[in-house]
Amino acid sequence: MTCISTKLEVIKPEYLYSIGNIITQATEWKPALDEISQLVHSIIIFDNLAVYLSDSKNNSVDVMYARAMGRGRKAEADVSWGETLANQIIACNQTILREPSLDPQQDRLQQAYMLGIPLTAQKICLGAIIFIRFGGPCFDSESQQLAEFIAGQITLLIQCQNLQLEYKKLEAQQAQSQLQEDFISTITHELRNPLGFIKGYTTTLLRSDTTWDQTTQQEFLEIIDHETDRLEELIENLLDSARLQSGQLKMQFQQVITDSLINTVITRTRLHYPDLSIIIESDKNIPPIVGDAGRLAQVLENLISNAVKYAPGSDIAIVLRKEKEYAVISVKDHGPGIPEQYLGHLFERFYRIPNQAPNVHGSGLGLYICKQIVDSHRGYITANSIEGKGTSFDVHLPYKP
Amino acid sequence: MTRILAVDDEPLYQHLYKVNLEKEGYDVVTASNGEDALDMVTSRHPDLVVLDVMMPRLDGITTCERIRQFSNVPIIIVTARGEENDRVRGLNVGADDYVVKPFSATELIARVRAVLRRSQTSEQPTQSRYFMHGNLKIDFARAEVWKDNKPVFLSATEYRLLIQFAHHVGEVMTAEELLVAIWGSAYREDKEILWVSIARLRQKLEDNPHSPQHIVTRAGLGYLMPPL
Repeated sequence: MTCISTKLEVIKPEYLYSIGNIITQATEWKPALDEISQLVHSIIIFDNLAVYLSDSKNNSVDVMYARAMGRGRKAEADVSWGETLANQIIACNQTILREPSLDPQQDRLQQAYMLGIPLTAQKICLGAIIFIRFGGPCFDSESQQLAEFIAGQITLLIQCQNLQLEYKKLEAQQAQSQLQEDFISTITHELRNPLGFIKGYTTTLLRSDTTWDQTTQQEFLEIIDHETDRLEELIENLLDSARLQSGQLKMQFQQVITDSLINTVITRTRLHYPDLSIIIESDKNIPPIVGDAGRLAQVLENLISNAVKYAPGSDIAIVLRKEKEYAVISVKDHGPGIPEQYLGHLFERFYRIPNQAPNVHGSGLGLYICKQIVDSHRGYITANSIEGKGTSFDVHLPYKP
Repeated sequence: MTRILAVDDEPLYQHLYKVNLEKEGYDVVTASNGEDALDMVTSRHPDLVVLDVMMPRLDGITTCERIRQFSNVPIIIVTARGEENDRVRGLNVGADDYVVKPFSATELIARVRAVLRRSQTSEQPTQSRYFMHGNLKIDFARAEVWKDNKPVFLSATEYRLLIQFAHHVGEVMTAEELLVAIWGSAYREDKEILWVSIARLRQKLEDNPHSPQHIVTRAGLGYLMPPL
């Protein structure tokens, strides 16, 4: 059968312009294809339209888009979607025009004219688009040209969407490795500084060409001592964090009286920060909890030293409350507070609030360790903060774990 | 008295420099970031700068580069162990020597003495922080440009091009020299980008870009900033 042109006019440039417009404005290829098929329906007459994409990973071809546009939509939809043709096109990467054998007796639905075009970008075949028309006339060369143009445009869009997907994956990976890098640079900095001070001040004391008076010597030694502690604390934190990560931090659970836990913590805090003003409030008759007293003390000491560090000059309140199922220990300060957008990240491993004052040291491990310890008590820890007013960390510990 | 400017964001390092160098009889002033350091180079006229590389805001390398735009004061950069790159970059932008953290007090002092000794034998002509050319003023420390006392906003490339001229007043520079100096040797042939950049610079700096006073073309030779 010869194909007679179904239209008198050639394809107007306006159509191509409109298709181009749809493509550049689109973010997803399916709605774009919907729009395009509406637009060109008067030029390329078709009843069914399907897009098949090959999945190179599974070596399979899947139908990703199917629209029945003809009058007898339901019946036509049941008949043919050109799947076999799609497989052929993907295999040979060529446009295929398929016409039914002409038998006047046949029902229109048995006479499927198919135009299948590969979706090819940079010589790689992503899939195929199939136009199906029932009962002729056949697709003329103009229709084929326009369909190929559409196929090319849709391919670009599909490819763009695929790339965006890949991009998002990479971005997530990048964020992860950025976190690791930040951690390494923080840790390097945090390890190097104390070492640098210890080396610097020790060699200052050791200078053979000069002498230092008693007070200066004392001052240098205190710096060295303090920096050694800082280093030790950092190493402890690193080890704890690694043990927590691998589940090797063993807790020794026993009955813990919260009052005496807090007393222990405060006695030790006073040793470290003799000038710190600590206010204690406590409900009466709080039942004992079951926990590891040493690790819980570590949590509270960490919260207190954070308060000292990030809310300098503020007094600190330790509030002990009795709730129905939990004993709640809060460590509150009246410091500058934490902006809301950072609160959700505080307990993440290695997280540090951006743009800290350079002299505030930290590894991004302390709160992570706190949360892990509290979690292993089947409790939970929350942070509440009002900028300009202060911050409160609330540790909820169940009476019965 | 020989004055040393020690720049480090860690107060304990500032203190370390101060006690050790003061013991040597130097006058020690400190700054905790690059911006302050630039101001202090111009206001306190140190004879030597000890400059930490890892600093917030303006890092040590950039600070060193900026100081070199207007001053030949000896600079010792302080880098962390394992950061060879920083050391090379620092020396490339004009540092005289480097010290690696963690360092011993005696090493620091020895390096300071050595660099000072070298600099005193070759008396350094120190330029001014500001450069004037007619109605044009460049503040090298802040990397800012003023025309008729109004700030002019230049891109980084435009600024580097301009200071290239400012440092060679009266000398004709060929297009190739300028391209290599500003863009790098890969751009040696890329005359068009130079033309565009010169044109844009003139638009911003000249009263009449068609009859330029600051950046003048010598046909067939190159460009120069004429002496006034």
